[in-house]
Amino acid sequence: MITGMDRLAALMSGATPDRVPIICNLLDQGAREMKVSLKEYYSRGDLVAEGQLRMREKYGYDTLLGMFYSGLEAELLGCSRIIYADDGPPNIGHLIINTPEHIRKLSLPDDLNDHPRFRELASCIGILKRESAGRWPVLGVATASFTLPAMLMGIGPWLELFLNGDPGLRDRLLETCSRFCSRQISALREAGADLIVYINPVASATFITLAKFRELALPWVIRDLVQSGPTGVIFFNGGGRINPILADLREHTGIGAYYLNPFDDISEARTILGPQALIAGAINDIRLIDWSPEEIDVEVGKIMNAGKQAGGFLFGTLLMPFRIPEQNIRAMMDAAIKHGSYHPEVM
Amino acid sequence: MTDRIKEQALDDYLKALFDTDKAAALRIVQQALDNGMSPESVIFEVVVPGMERMIGGMLSDNLVTLSQHFLASQIAEEVTDRLIPLFAVAPEVQGNVVIGTCHGDFHGLGKKIVIGCLRARMFRVTDLGINVAPERFVEAALSNHAKVIGISSMMVHTATGELGPKRVRQLLREQGLEEKVRIIVGGAPYRFHDSLYKEVGADAWADTAAEAPAVVARLMAEVLP
Repeated sequence: MITGMDRLAALMSGATPDRVPIICNLLDQGAREMKVSLKEYYSRGDLVAEGQLRMREKYGYDTLLGMFYSGLEAELLGCSRIIYADDGPPNIGHLIINTPEHIRKLSLPDDLNDHPRFRELASCIGILKRESAGRWPVLGVATASFTLPAMLMGIGPWLELFLNGDPGLRDRLLETCSRFCSRQISALREAGADLIVYINPVASATFITLAKFRELALPWVIRDLVQSGPTGVIFFNGGGRINPILADLREHTGIGAYYLNPFDDISEARTILGPQALIAGAINDIRLIDWSPEEIDVEVGKIMNAGKQAGGFLFGTLLMPFRIPEQNIRAMMDAAIKHGSYHPEVM
Repeated sequence: MTDRIKEQALDDYLKALFDTDKAAALRIVQQALDNGMSPESVIFEVVVPGMERMIGGMLSDNLVTLSQHFLASQIAEEVTDRLIPLFAVAPEVQGNVVIGTCHGDFHGLGKKIVIGCLRARMFRVTDLGINVAPERFVEAALSNHAKVIGISSMMVHTATGELGPKRVRQLLREQGLEEKVRIIVGGAPYRFHDSLYKEVGADAWADTAAEAPAVVARLMAEVLP
């Protein structure tokens, strides 16, 4: 059996795998799989691991996602209230930074494993790693220092601070967030993550101009990865377009894989990045809620054709909404396997 | 005050917005006033066109970023609030709007940008905040004599959930208000899915905050006096 790890290894060595590897980011759907509420699901790493394993088995994609929800990072830094929904990701209900003093007092746990929520996450990743037995890459997820403040103080105040606020305060916050990001990457790897998905939407071209990216965000991307190194890191768009910043990222960070936004052009990304970097192209997964199987087939086909021409390509989703019907997830997978094959004659 | 000076003020203002330089933008506003431009002229010939050209993406072919949207709207709101009391004649209010982020949703940025655009266009806006219950939208619309309810969502499940715009629509129907109050929605899920607004029971959506005043004005024109 050819595994997700085989496919990824083939891509990384410059070879062509049997088909395009598929990353399908299902999170909250695991609770449905386990027949528990989202709150109960995310309370235990073993439940999340089992949910992830079942969903990978059920749909046949190539990776295992070692993540709970974005707000967990805020919890590790002191957020005391997470608000659960029945049908979507938990929200942050308590912003820990409301005054400059809160930034000055923000402190990090020396060891993330001291925090019970991280221990659950690490336990989940450990189970995924063990059960995968080298077959399916386990993805750990870390929010970049330039994006993390949005979860600690709200995006409006963060924009205000980094655009027109006190530079000293901004840098102090970024310094703390960067140390956290760096520690988290190390801890996720220790827990068993094979690849790190580095999420940085606030640095994307959807949020800031290229000039501001170069001035304010790029130095912190470099800094976040100094300790851990860029190997095995995937730069994830997080919902923003990244083609306009790819050239700078490639030149200055050493990151070797880029996960595009559905609105980023795949062939343009390849031209910018050159032949070496891996590219993940993402489907607009909100549309999977109500596209017909035929429409899904067409859309996946377009992405796969562009990706196969570009080479070094993975097919992916963003974070799949809970409402996507199961048959549409299957339709996407069927289409991805069909259109992603490099050897259609043997199918 | 010559047209050339006004054009120069607008050009300089646009450049400051493009660079997301709030201090420069406010300085240009003050210079325009110091040079003898009336408060009305500063608002309607510099600040509002600057905001709309920036947010509407007409400034360049390049992607206009959220930080530019945010700043253009924020400055427009601040300057409008400061200068309206200085108008020779009180401006005509375009109508009342209540706006908030959907139940279960704690993201306030999009709503904030839209509010700035609406206020600069002389709408009276009541901000209901984030995580707003559907009943609250309807109560606030009635108590504020608002013809339009704006509902922002950042997440698919809050946009499409049973306590989101769908429930607001149901409440309007139950209370016989559908011909008196319209619903406009906005936020990330609608940008990824441009017919989603119909599914959630809204009358319209706006792709950018700059479009919101025109869409709201159209909705207001549709409803019963």
